[in-house]
Amino acid sequence: MITIASIVIALAAVAVSVYLILKNQKAKEVLEKREKDVSRRMYELAILKELGDRIGYSLDVQQIIDIITNSLHQFIEYSAVSYMILEPEKVIFKMHLERSVHRQFVNDVRDRMLGSLGALLDREFNKKDVEEVLSGAIIIEELEEPVRSFFNIPLVIDEKVVGVLTVADTKEGLYKEEEMTILYKIIQQASKAVTSLQGVVKTEQAKVNAMVESMEDGVVMTDADYRILVINPAAKRVIGQEGKQEVTIFDFIDNLGGKMDIRGRLEESVKLKKTYMSERFEVHNKFYQAFVFPVKTMSNLSEGEVLGGVVIFHDVTHEVELERVRDDFTSMIVHELRTPLSGIQKASELLKMPRKPAAASKQYVDIIYQNSSSMLDMVNDILDAAKLQAGKFEINAEPASIAEVVSNRVDFFNLSAGDKKIKLKVTIDKAVPGAVPFDVQRIKQVLNNLISNALKFTPEAGAISVVAFLHEAGGLVNKELHKTGVVPPEPLPEDQFAKLPPSLVVAVTDSGVGIPLEHRGELFSKFKQLSNTTLVTNIKGTGLGLAIARGIITEHGGIIDVVSKADIGSTFYFALPVEKSPLP
Amino acid sequence: MKKILIVDDDMTFVAMMKAALDPKKYEVTSAGNGIEALSTLEESMPDLILLDIMMPKMDGIEFLTEMNKKYGEHKTSVLITSNNSSLDKISEGVALGIKGYFIKSNESLHGIIAMIESALPK
Repeated sequence: MITIASIVIALAAVAVSVYLILKNQKAKEVLEKREKDVSRRMYELAILKELGDRIGYSLDVQQIIDIITNSLHQFIEYSAVSYMILEPEKVIFKMHLERSVHRQFVNDVRDRMLGSLGALLDREFNKKDVEEVLSGAIIIEELEEPVRSFFNIPLVIDEKVVGVLTVADTKEGLYKEEEMTILYKIIQQASKAVTSLQGVVKTEQAKVNAMVESMEDGVVMTDADYRILVINPAAKRVIGQEGKQEVTIFDFIDNLGGKMDIRGRLEESVKLKKTYMSERFEVHNKFYQAFVFPVKTMSNLSEGEVLGGVVIFHDVTHEVELERVRDDFTSMIVHELRTPLSGIQKASELLKMPRKPAAASKQYVDIIYQNSSSMLDMVNDILDAAKLQAGKFEINAEPASIAEVVSNRVDFFNLSAGDKKIKLKVTIDKAVPGAVPFDVQRIKQVLNNLISNALKFTPEAGAISVVAFLHEAGGLVNKELHKTGVVPPEPLPEDQFAKLPPSLVVAVTDSGVGIPLEHRGELFSKFKQLSNTTLVTNIKGTGLGLAIARGIITEHGGIIDVVSKADIGSTFYFALPVEKSPLP
Repeated sequence: MKKILIVDDDMTFVAMMKAALDPKKYEVTSAGNGIEALSTLEESMPDLILLDIMMPKMDGIEFLTEMNKKYGEHKTSVLITSNNSSLDKISEGVALGIKGYFIKSNESLHGIIAMIESALPK
């Protein structure tokens, strides 16, 4: 205020001296004009000073226009000064009456302003969207004076029309060019101030935006009126509005479809400073958990003023899927364990019954034996899988002959292969070393798994071959495999072998149905989804075999994988380093 | 003589039930999946069906739906037998008019026979 006072004094002094100099020149009109100019300038300065003070902490266009209109009557004559400001969902129409007018006058000004706002923005406005506030003198219906003078100024902030300011009078011939130039100037200054301040805000906003832009979680920040200030691409993706530039809270309300009351939660945050964590909900086939919390001003003294709210959408789709796979897996395990258990229980019950069909006892004992063996296998698988998961899977590698182990397993499966009329062939390359360090029991387990799988999936009268050969460091594995006389359904990937040290390779090739590419990845995973294909082929078991096999081979420092082609067959292969190498 | 159809791919269970049910009181037939079961229905409608849920080719729920579509509901008594206690499937079965259900491994043969007797039409 001291500044204003000093300006007033200085200007008054100038005015007085000018008056003294000119008083003898009888240039009264000139003087009057000067005085008018000076007062206008002072007014302008005062307004701009006040504006400067106010916008120091306010960016509210409406508040700034209020300051201007409140003091405009000091130098412009009008019956009413009014402004219209465009809000996202409505048009605010505020009119201050300096003198009483009738209702039609108000309506007339409103319609004209709405018309010019429409023309400026090139869109239609409905009278219903107008929120009217009248102040000042009262409406007197008897005064039937129409609008005779009228002047409109567009309110432009940052090159965007945000509204119009209008002065109107019942008298004719007001609002000359000159007066209006000053009004323009004031509005321009105000707009410039707001624009530059908004520029600062925008820069800051851009910084925040850049930061949240890269976040995987959807982030939306709103002001206290739930206008979106910051939004990242992930948040737009949540509601399927990636392409939309200006997303509003209504886009969220529409697209969340009542699954999460974003507006209500923000209101709780803004008004009650509450934080909120939602349950999981599904939008556009994805699962989210939302967090809502208030944004407060930084202040050590008080609790801080709430400026707005933040919503974070955390994508939990992957977790939900994992849970589903785990649930399916658990329910499958329960089913697979209960079935043999139920068989054991019922067979023993039958054995206890007095009325027992002759020669049935042996059959029941057989059932008990088979079921308990298959249960034991499954329990062992589950324990192995648990050990793998806990990283407590250990192998005991001792030099042994792979040729012996492979031949032993092939002999073991020969009987069941014969039942299905499947030719089971074994080839051990001469270059295979007599002793290689490996865990005999565990490698037997891997071979059991690979050969029994091959038998399961190969139709009657098919063929299965098991080969073992040496892969030289830097050698071409397909060439090496070819020498054994086996042709895989597809070449083995050379890059997998390129960096391996000299290794012992075992490959089990079947003439089965083959594995579609999309299922190959999940073959070796622990929680393989229980798909219909398992049921159709009527394959029993935990489905953990390959996951365990991979665990065993990895623990040996080797690799295990598969190549396959539909209707031709599959080759499952593993490679073990010939030298005992220190594990990484 | 009451006719009982066991629809289950668990051959051990089928064998046990056949051994446990008194051949003087019951005529027991079996089918390994829903499709086989539907074709046996063409010959005669049993008094009771013991129906497993998880089966290859056509599962228990699909079988129930098909049977109801073809013959109408409540033409026979159905007991769901499963080792999977998934409540979803059981409530689907209840909606399709089953008489009851039990978890195979939770029941003794005696218990199952008692349930069959009470579910059979008098």
